[in-house]
Amino acid sequence: MNLNHRILQVDRLTKIYGKGTQKTEALQGISFDVLEGEFLGIMGASGSGKTTLLNCIATMLKPSSGKILLKDKDISSLKGNALADYRGHEIGYLFQEFELLDNMTAQENIALPLSLQGISLEQAQKDILQIAERFDITEVLEKFPPQMSGGQKQRTAAARAFISNPGIILADEPTGALDSKNSKILMDMLAAMNQEEHKTIMMVTHDPNAASYCSRILFIQDGRLFHELRRNRQEETTEAFYDRIVTVIAQLGGGSANVL
Amino acid sequence: MFFKQVWRNAIRHRKDNGLFFGSLIIAIIAFYTLLSLKEQDVMRYLAAVESVAVSKLFKLIPLVYMVSLFFVFFLVYFACKYQTDSRRKEFGMYLMLGMKYSRLFAILFCETFLNSLISLLTGIPLALFLTEGISLTTAKLVGLGIIGHRISFSPDALLYTVCGFTLVQLLSVFVICMKLSHTEPAAFLADDFAQEHEKNFSGSGAFFFLAGVLLLIIAYAMGMAVLDTLGFGAFFMVFLFGTLGTIFLYKGLGYVIGKGIEKKSRRKAGLSVFTARQLQENVFCQHQSLAVSSLLLLLSLACISFGIGTAAGSHETRTTDLSVKGSDAQIQSFLSDEEIAPMIETAYPMYLSYTHTSRDLEPVKNAMAKLPQSDLRDNMMENITDSCDYILSESSYNSLLSAMGKVPVSLNPDQMALFSSMSTADFTNIMNAALNQNVTIKVNGAEYSLLPCLYYDNIVADRMISLYTALIVPDEVFEEIADDSEPFCYNLHLSESVTAEKGLLAALSDMGEILSARGLEYDSYLGGIGRNLFYTVASSYLTLYLGILFLLIANTVIGLKYLIWQRQNKHRYITLLMLGENRNALCQSAKSQIQTFFNLALVIAAINGIFAVFSMFRSFLRLPSTAAFLLVALMAAAAFLLFILTELVYIHVVKRTACREIMELKLSR
Repeated sequence: MNLNHRILQVDRLTKIYGKGTQKTEALQGISFDVLEGEFLGIMGASGSGKTTLLNCIATMLKPSSGKILLKDKDISSLKGNALADYRGHEIGYLFQEFELLDNMTAQENIALPLSLQGISLEQAQKDILQIAERFDITEVLEKFPPQMSGGQKQRTAAARAFISNPGIILADEPTGALDSKNSKILMDMLAAMNQEEHKTIMMVTHDPNAASYCSRILFIQDGRLFHELRRNRQEETTEAFYDRIVTVIAQLGGGSANVL
Repeated sequence: MFFKQVWRNAIRHRKDNGLFFGSLIIAIIAFYTLLSLKEQDVMRYLAAVESVAVSKLFKLIPLVYMVSLFFVFFLVYFACKYQTDSRRKEFGMYLMLGMKYSRLFAILFCETFLNSLISLLTGIPLALFLTEGISLTTAKLVGLGIIGHRISFSPDALLYTVCGFTLVQLLSVFVICMKLSHTEPAAFLADDFAQEHEKNFSGSGAFFFLAGVLLLIIAYAMGMAVLDTLGFGAFFMVFLFGTLGTIFLYKGLGYVIGKGIEKKSRRKAGLSVFTARQLQENVFCQHQSLAVSSLLLLLSLACISFGIGTAAGSHETRTTDLSVKGSDAQIQSFLSDEEIAPMIETAYPMYLSYTHTSRDLEPVKNAMAKLPQSDLRDNMMENITDSCDYILSESSYNSLLSAMGKVPVSLNPDQMALFSSMSTADFTNIMNAALNQNVTIKVNGAEYSLLPCLYYDNIVADRMISLYTALIVPDEVFEEIADDSEPFCYNLHLSESVTAEKGLLAALSDMGEILSARGLEYDSYLGGIGRNLFYTVASSYLTLYLGILFLLIANTVIGLKYLIWQRQNKHRYITLLMLGENRNALCQSAKSQIQTFFNLALVIAAINGIFAVFSMFRSFLRLPSTAAFLLVALMAAAAFLLFILTELVYIHVVKRTACREIMELKLSR
């Protein structure tokens, strides 16, 4: 982690849905930074605003006010081709439901972000094999998604998110559609990408198990930052960090029933 | 509230589905035009002159109507399915809010009924306008002014159009409701309801593709080589092989496209792999619809060609205007009348007589035996020796040819010529080939050589009097062997100034009245005009009608199938947007998919069509040698242009709809 380089800066971000009496403030002036090489978790109860926050960073939603700076560039004002370029070059997105194109093979899916940048499958072959090896999906490269298991699909989606070497990976409940075994495999691999390749990952999750792989967790409540947990990987085990997360979730009020 | 909702929904869906509504209105116009045929001026006239044939045609109309209803059902079904599929979330929400299935279906039925009503209110006036236009134009073109124009509104046609159309609409919604009744609310609310298709892109695909190509080649070869000789059995085999071949070809096409992608995709960037994979999947999942649409397009091409062929091939040659029967004195007194004389261009007696003398036509039969075997040749060989009981005098036949502006027959004393009024192209070809072999026959013990070509210009005004074969003999021989030395009739040609002034039809009618008033029996070319019209109207009208209907249905099915499929897979476009692709590039990809999807149906239909039309014109629809090539070519070009134009309009509308849907995609999850 590069402590001196902020890759993402979120500054007094607000998002208001509706008008007049129908107004709902999903985000109420959230500010935080993400450092290069960090593995940041966002947790919070349903309706706390965590998905709205992720959608704003991913440019799926336009914030009502505030700034989002990625590599010192304000992305909230991007439009048209510049917006498409940002999505294609600067962020990698990992969806809960994988969102693989099921009429394309795994390697075609992985190559898609590069292909959209004008790089052919042939030119990208070396990178594809490398990332496929990293996510243990070499055997399924020629297969179509319906011929793959849930775990393989999500690892393929992860490979697609990393292939274009984006500045930041945004993951929205990446283990939400996986069983516990495949969740663990995926999280181990994401953590490895973070620690060995120094990839910056920002992950929204309900799952304390998944969150325990993060280096820092922001807890959001009613559109505001409520709490922050940091983990020192050298001194604290994943299990110990997990216990601390569960405690905070309980303190958020109402236990997991209220969070999940 | 219920009716307000139904009204609002109906308006919204009409706006969203212009393609569908356009097709419905065209279907209504087609129904009414077909059913109101009886009331058309041309048909009223034909019913008077050709009542038997016309009543047969009218009996055929309900059958064509039923066939049309059957096909229109599919058009309406796909269109309704497209609409309901796009509203699944809305239905799911209604159900979750406590609406009963029965009430949901009642809403759908009411909306359909309302849409039917609005389509009918738009379509019927257009249909009335069109039929009136057709009626007036044809009446003017063929000079039917004498029988007077009558408004062609037909209450029966209106009733059947309304009932048939509404029935088809309601039946489609009923089938859809039956399917929806088995769907859980959760399935309605699910974001993506596209069914997971088993991606079996390998293995059997290659087999089906090769089998399809093989079957089509066999069908083409059979169609070209043996369709005209083997009759119904061959026709059935060609039909079976052609249909199966097309279905198999489309079933295996997905595999072939996949192989192409594997070969080329590695060097391509951008959306080319995505576009090709979309197309492959579309072909794979929709191969049945593609095959059916392609076959419908083929049927459409074949029907339109048949319509043009029969219209162009049915022209009867006008040999004489009137054939009058009566004694020599009666006719001469009639022709010398001061009032009549200026109206007649030429008049001559036609000497046709039965003969009892011995005739030996075995040499003609023997000459035919040397020709290639066919059903028609065998039949002609059986008939030729027994049928030649009549003789025609050379001079009277020459008078006919001269009046028509043709070269007269020139017979030496030892020569004769063969005449037949069975002038189909095949008959004439076989007879000419036989006569070309220097045939010599025996009549009354003397030998005569036959001229090497068949004469077929009708000797009387009305074609209903037909002679299978007769001998054109020198006048001296005629006098010697004819049983009856009196003229069979007198042929009259009206003067050009009269026909130009009144029109042929009115001039013939007037002259007919004068002849009747004088107590003279006559046949007129009026019957020939009637038959000409009847063949043109009956065969070409019905086949062109079906052709256009098939064309519309095939295009609507292809278009709607694509749009339904794109809507089912819209999440892919959202993913691509998330991965950084812009909407314009996605629209380009969709346009390219649509163009190729239509082309796949069109190209196979066009190849099948070329062979089908070629086989058709070689076998049962052989054009007579007299058919004007330029006219046929012009009609075919016009039909082809209309066909292309229809395709372009459909493709454009589908592309526009697909792009609008992509532009309206929402990214937030």
